[in-house]
Amino acid sequence: MYRLRTLSLPALLVLFVGIPVFWAFPEALPFWRALGIMLGWAGAGLLLFNLLLMVREVELASRLGGLERITAWHHRIGMAAYLLLLLHPLALAAAGWAESPELAWQVISPFSENWPVWLGWAGLIFLMLGLATTFMHRLAYSTWRWLHSLLGLGVLIGFIHVLKLGIGAGGLLALASAVLILLWRLLRVDLGTAAKPYIVTSVRSVAQSMVEVALKPLAMPVDAEPGQFVLTAFFRGPNYRGCGEFHPFTISGFGPEHELRIGVKALGDCTRRMQHLEPGVSARVHGPFGEFLKALPARPLLWVAGGIGITPFIGFLRQQPVDTPTTLIYFYRDDRDAAYLDELTLLSANSPGLVLQAEATGAGVPNLGRSLPGAEALANHECYVCGPPGLIDAVSRALLERSVPIERIHFEHFDFR
Amino acid sequence: MTRQLYIASTTAFWLVVFGLGMTSALWNPVEQGDAQAQEKAITLAELAKHAAPGNCWMAIRGSVYDLSAYLPTHPSPPDIVLPWCGKEATEAYNTKTKGRPHTAYADELLQKYRIGILAKAP
Repeated sequence: MYRLRTLSLPALLVLFVGIPVFWAFPEALPFWRALGIMLGWAGAGLLLFNLLLMVREVELASRLGGLERITAWHHRIGMAAYLLLLLHPLALAAAGWAESPELAWQVISPFSENWPVWLGWAGLIFLMLGLATTFMHRLAYSTWRWLHSLLGLGVLIGFIHVLKLGIGAGGLLALASAVLILLWRLLRVDLGTAAKPYIVTSVRSVAQSMVEVALKPLAMPVDAEPGQFVLTAFFRGPNYRGCGEFHPFTISGFGPEHELRIGVKALGDCTRRMQHLEPGVSARVHGPFGEFLKALPARPLLWVAGGIGITPFIGFLRQQPVDTPTTLIYFYRDDRDAAYLDELTLLSANSPGLVLQAEATGAGVPNLGRSLPGAEALANHECYVCGPPGLIDAVSRALLERSVPIERIHFEHFDFR
Repeated sequence: MTRQLYIASTTAFWLVVFGLGMTSALWNPVEQGDAQAQEKAITLAELAKHAAPGNCWMAIRGSVYDLSAYLPTHPSPPDIVLPWCGKEATEAYNTKTKGRPHTAYADELLQKYRIGILAKAP
């Protein structure tokens, strides 16, 4: 099963690129022209594959190795598609270069009165602009999301370009597939039809700028496990108006009658507003996603949490005691930021296998050289890291330096931009 | 890392496109005028003698082209193109027999095979 999930994405990649390239493989064409055509179809296949990676269906995400892995692939595949599609017109132009620079320019010139060429340029420029905004992490999430959708528009225009070139069957199939996948994503994820209705039952502050929200299902509950996360959007309440955007939140616990608890830290405009949530606010919950603490192996564990990254661990410990010797290193800025610290101290006191190492780091970065166990103490350990990206990178590097094999280091970013 | 790759590739792409556009604008081959002055008039009767796959002339938009060397690399199946060897094929060229014109690239490529002009009927 593990191998199937590992191979699923590479297998799909081969299919999505291989089928169009095999179908459109040109025979007896000059090298550069054939290469240009192949680059176009390979890029088109990657774009379609990337659209599929945007579909956040619980079962599909699980079969493909989890949303974290899918998102990492989405980024890489998107970039690869962009590079191939930049080379596509250049290779076609190179085919004419041997004859004359004029002929080479004629192939791609946006000034020629030629709809296929205009559409090709329009698609490429939308991809260019959409991708540029992808890297603007300082944009508000709602603005970023709308600008990111330029990429979808670029894909559609690109496939109309294929149709206009007279490639009827291939162009139509690609365009229809792209439209269907985009509609699927829009309806199921963005408009929330895949999400289940919930209502907020309680809200309590657990740290500075962080609340724990309890939600009760109004219909079928999501079937979640500790360590997983859900995409949740909040709407209206008696005195509250939510922003209606779906954001990922890690499950911090379960209550009676399928109640879910999630940790919400103020990291942006929308999550800042959520600090004022109140009982009675309607919500929609999509998920669960994530493989973070699923199927823990029977060997000693090292858990490293930074800030809100403590949430999956508290979610796990509230549900069940640890079976194997476990060290939980919890980094937080100061006491006001130390969410769940009292509860964790109590849990570790009552759980013989759990050692809690809580460290206030101040505004600086933690001293990992001192805080992490040495190479000998880490032998045979499985390591799980959750926190800000900088901490995940630093801890992963430090663990690798301590000879922990890379396959024994697990982390989730919970950032799906 | 991905961001740097995006910036580098996008910049390189625009530099190549801009360079190609500039080179094309400044390109002025001197021999073009001489070639046009020397081209001969080919009658329909002479055109009709070149109607075989290895000896294929076509008249398109008033010019005659010897496409014998190009035919093996034409993307369409031979039975679409070969029937037009030795004939006036402007309509077929303009519509690709499906109501779609050839691309500007094809127009430019065609010039490579030009051997004369189609003589006006007496």
